[in-house]
Amino acid sequence: MSCHTPNNSHKKNDCDSEAIINIALAGNPNVGKSVIFNQLTGLSQTIGNWPGKTVEKLEGHLDFLGYHFNIVDLPGIYSLSTYSLEEIVSREYIVSENVDLIINVIDATNLERNLFLTFQLLELKVPMILAINQMDILRKRNIELDFDELENLFKLPVLPVVAVHGIGVHELLERAIEIIESYKDIDYKFPDITDISSFGKEIETKLQILISEINDNYPHVMDYKYPARFLAIKMLEKDEEILNLINNIENVEPLLAKTTQFITDLEDYHGEDINSIISSEIYNNINQLVEKVITIKKKKEMKRRSFADKMDHLTTHSFWGYIILFLVIFGIYSFTSAIGNFLGTIIDDVFSLWTESIYLSFGEENLLVKILWDGGVGGFIGAVAGVLVYVIPFFFTIEILQDSGYLPRAAFLMDKIMHVLGVHGKTIIPMILGFGCNVPACAGCRIMETKREKKISIALTSLIPCAAVMTVVFGLVGRYLGLGWVLLLFLINLLVILIVGRILNKTMPGTCTELIMEMHEYRKPNYKVIFKQTWLRSKEFIFKALPIIILFGISLEIILMFNVLEPINAILSPITFFWLGLPAITGVFLIYGIIRKELTLVLLALFAENLGIAINIFLSPIQMITFSLVTMLYIPCFATIIVIAKQTSWKYALQITLLEISLALLIGGIVNFSFVFIAGIL
Amino acid sequence: MSAMRANHGHRRSKAEPVSLIKCLTECGRGEDVEVVSVNAGFNARRRLYNLGIYPGSVIRKKKDAPFRGPLQIIVKGTNIVLGRGLASKIYVRCGESCTFD
Repeated sequence: MSCHTPNNSHKKNDCDSEAIINIALAGNPNVGKSVIFNQLTGLSQTIGNWPGKTVEKLEGHLDFLGYHFNIVDLPGIYSLSTYSLEEIVSREYIVSENVDLIINVIDATNLERNLFLTFQLLELKVPMILAINQMDILRKRNIELDFDELENLFKLPVLPVVAVHGIGVHELLERAIEIIESYKDIDYKFPDITDISSFGKEIETKLQILISEINDNYPHVMDYKYPARFLAIKMLEKDEEILNLINNIENVEPLLAKTTQFITDLEDYHGEDINSIISSEIYNNINQLVEKVITIKKKKEMKRRSFADKMDHLTTHSFWGYIILFLVIFGIYSFTSAIGNFLGTIIDDVFSLWTESIYLSFGEENLLVKILWDGGVGGFIGAVAGVLVYVIPFFFTIEILQDSGYLPRAAFLMDKIMHVLGVHGKTIIPMILGFGCNVPACAGCRIMETKREKKISIALTSLIPCAAVMTVVFGLVGRYLGLGWVLLLFLINLLVILIVGRILNKTMPGTCTELIMEMHEYRKPNYKVIFKQTWLRSKEFIFKALPIIILFGISLEIILMFNVLEPINAILSPITFFWLGLPAITGVFLIYGIIRKELTLVLLALFAENLGIAINIFLSPIQMITFSLVTMLYIPCFATIIVIAKQTSWKYALQITLLEISLALLIGGIVNFSFVFIAGIL
Repeated sequence: MSAMRANHGHRRSKAEPVSLIKCLTECGRGEDVEVVSVNAGFNARRRLYNLGIYPGSVIRKKKDAPFRGPLQIIVKGTNIVLGRGLASKIYVRCGESCTFD
C-alpha cells in the first residue's frame, strides 16, 4: 500500500538499536513553536543553517524517560507549497530519513488557518502528534475544544498545551514514545483519515487515477520519498519543485499530459483556478471538522476593547504610529549604546591598567609583548569591548520587540515608503534593528522572501548608522558643533540610503513583490524566553563571528606594529588629505574603524591627547563633519561584511563594501569642498 | 447597474440586497465581504489561497495604512497585511453600505 512510505521502515531500525527519537516541530509562525522547543531542549540548542540554504536551522537535544530526543525546530510556515524557501526546506526535511515523528504545533485561538498546514502535513504520512497551544487563552474566551473528538477524527494524539507555562509539553514526548514503540516490530501504517481529508468527487477520482499511475508505471517517483498522493496533489497544484522532480523521471510525459488534462478539466468544471479549488476544499474540510469539535459556551462582555487591541490601534495609527516607531528606534539606539558604552569603557579601562603593568614588567618595545599582548589580548578585548557589549543588549531589545509582536506593525506603517526603495515593508524590520547593530540586522534580512529583496535589504541595512557609529557622530559633531549638525549628517545618511535603494531597484532584475504578512495580536513578552533567546543568539555570535573579528584585529595590529603606519598614511594621503581635507594620520584611524567603527573616534582622541591638544583644535569643524560622515558611510564593519557574505555571497559582500567606500569618499569630498567653498566666500 | 435602473425610473424595495463587485482597496472598512476573484501572479495567488483568501471566502477590511499604504484585513480570525497593489487585484462582493474612499 502507498500508505507505507519507504522511509519509515528505515527509521524503525534506528530507534531499535539506540533508542533515539528524531522529532521535527512544525507549525505556523508565532504559534509558540519556539517556546515549546525552548521548554524541551533548554540551552542545548544550536543555531545553524540548512545545508546550502540561508534558512536558519534550530536543533536541540534532550534525554527523557530513557530516550534520546533530537529535536529540530522547523521554520514557521503556512503551507507546504513553494512560496518561500522555508516551506521547501520543511517538506524536504520531513520526508527525509531523519524524522521519526512530527509535532505539529497549532494555535488554538486560530484553529482554521493553522489546520490548513496540518491537513498538508497529514498527506506526508509521517507519524504525527498535534499540540494545541494557547489553550489558556481559548478557555478565557469561553470556547471549549473536544479533544476526544479531535483524536477520534484525526486518529492521532491531540494534546492541549500551554507552552509559556510548560503545561503539557513533556506529555508530548510521552505520547511520542508510545507511538514509536507501537510500531517497533511492525511496519508503520498511517491511519486512514479519508473521511475528514478527502477532496470532492471530481478531484478525488482524478487523484486516484494519478496515484495508481504513479504506483503502477513510475516506481522511481517514490525515490523522492514523498507519498504518491502528496505528489499527485502537488502536481495538480502545478507545484514547480515537484514538477521538476517528476520531470527527471524517464518517460514521464504521459503522466504529465494526463495531469495537465485533469487540471484543465477541473478548472473548466469549477470555473476557478486549480489552486483556488484545492485550497477552498481543504478549508471546507477544516470548517466541517472545526464545527464538530468547538463549542462556544457563551460570549461575554466582548464590548470592552482589550489592552492588546488598543495598543494595536495606537501603533498602527496614521500619526501616533509614526511617533511610536521613532521612539522605538530611539529606544533601541539609546539602550544599546548606553549599556555598550558603559561596559566598553570599563573593559577598556581595566585593559589599559593591565597594559601598563605588562609594559612595566616586560618593556614596551618587546616584540613578543607587542604581538601577544597588544595584538592577541588587545584584539580580543577590542572585540569584546567594541562589539560584544553592544550586541548582547541589542539582541535583548530585538527579542522583546519580536516576542511582543511590534515589528510587523512597523512594516505595516512603512510599506508604502519602502516601495520607493524597491522593497516592501518588511525590510523596515532589519533596518530598525540596524540602528542597534548592523551585524544581526543583516542576518535578519533572511526574512525577505526573494533573493532580490534580500540583497536590497542587506545593502540598505548596512548603511544604517549603528550604535557605534552614532557614538562617533555624537562624540565628535554633537559634542563640539551641536545637535543641528548631527541631524544634518543623519539626513545625508538617509539620502544616501534613498539613492542606493533607487539605484539597486533600477539595476537589479525583477520587480518589487507585494507585502503579504500576518500581524498577530500583541502579547506580554515572556522574559524567560527572552533571556534564553538573547543568550542563544549571543552564544552563536561569540562562537562564530567573534573569532574572525579577533583574528582580523590581531593581524591588523601586527601589520601596524611593523611601522607601516607612515607608508599607509602616505598612500592614503591623496584621499584623506587632498580629497577629504583631513589630517593624513586619520587614514589609519579609518582602517581601524573597519573592526569597530567607534575606534575611529577613540584613536583620534588618543592621538590628540598625545599631542597635548583638544580634538576641536586638532580638527576644524569642517574636518569633524567630513570625518564623521566618512565614518558613517565608508564601510560596513568587518563582522557585517562576513554576515553579508554568509547571507548572500562574498562577491556581493565585496560589491557592497566597494560601493560604500566609493560613496563615502564621493560624498565626503563633495561635503568637504562645498564647505571650503562656502567658507571661502564668507 | 442599480444606478442605471434608477435612471430608468424603476423602483426597488429597500429590502432588496444590492451587491457590488469592487476591488478590496475600494470597499468599506469593517464589513464582511465575499472574495470573488484573485487576479495576482501564480505565487502570490497560491499564497493568498493558502491563507484563506480564495473565491467564496469571507474577509473583512480592518484598516488602511496611511498614505495609501497596505491594508489590514481579517481572514478566518487572523490579521493579514496586504500590499495595496496586491489588494487592488482582489475582487470582492460587498453590500450597499460600501463607500468609496
